[in-house]
Amino acid sequence: MYSLSEQQFDFILSDINARGVRLESLQYDLLDHICVIIEQKVEKEEDFDQCYEATISAFYRQELREIEEETIFLLARRNRLTLSRNQFFLLLFTIFIGPFVSYDLAWLVTSGPTAGWNIPLHIWAPTVVYSLFPLLILLVLLLTPERLDPLIPVKSTVLLGIRPFIKIIPKPIDRVEIETTAR
Amino acid sequence: MNYSTELIKGTLKTIILKLLADNKKMYGYEITQKVKELTRDRIQITEGALYPTLHALEADKLVTTETEYIGKRIRKYYSLSPTGKAQAREKVKEFASFMDTMIALLDIKPKMT
Repeated sequence: MYSLSEQQFDFILSDINARGVRLESLQYDLLDHICVIIEQKVEKEEDFDQCYEATISAFYRQELREIEEETIFLLARRNRLTLSRNQFFLLLFTIFIGPFVSYDLAWLVTSGPTAGWNIPLHIWAPTVVYSLFPLLILLVLLLTPERLDPLIPVKSTVLLGIRPFIKIIPKPIDRVEIETTAR
Repeated sequence: MNYSTELIKGTLKTIILKLLADNKKMYGYEITQKVKELTRDRIQITEGALYPTLHALEADKLVTTETEYIGKRIRKYYSLSPTGKAQAREKVKEFASFMDTMIALLDIKPKMT
């Protein structure tokens, strides 16, 4: 059976590293996987360089570090609330105006049926005023979705949990888990 | 037959847990080959899907790892923890129940082979 030389082995490991995979345990997984495939292919009289390029390029869609990003995402997602960007902003909006709406509702309930919908100005005015700010943000987001890109890019995922409270995964996660082939 | 991604999305954990339950300990390449073999090439697990899931299962303490040196390189073997074994049974049971429901819902006649 063909066996990779130490030089080839070091080359593969440094290339995995250069392609952005930094997690050591993931590097070893990939290294072993690639080595097994190459050893089988080269045995069938294929050239190492060509064989390596063909093998490594089959591991990813755009870049090899996608695998590390997906790993980090799955690890970070554990025990956290996963929200899309829109869900996150909706949550913020609810948190901002929720107390005011609750205050209005509480007034309606406590003031009895005779009050009807005639809510006094000092009750409903703060709700309208404080709703404007988050409403404007939502409007800006709707009209110019790329505006908050540096902070929370379009299609990014927001993870809420403990330490850190908010984690933003900027890259859209293309979660195609399994590839199937026609027989 | 070519299965749509939507159809099989979410089954990867079940597949990995079941394979590890049946094979005691396996390394990444071995898992991909076993899936290919068992499904007659109809399902191929990509490396980009396999390793993140294995690492997540490890972090969830459903699988444990042991390393072995193959010459200079390290091979990581994955095996089920006691919790993982229970989870594998649970996942397979859940999937079997789901299939029964879908067979009834879609009025599929099982093929006699």
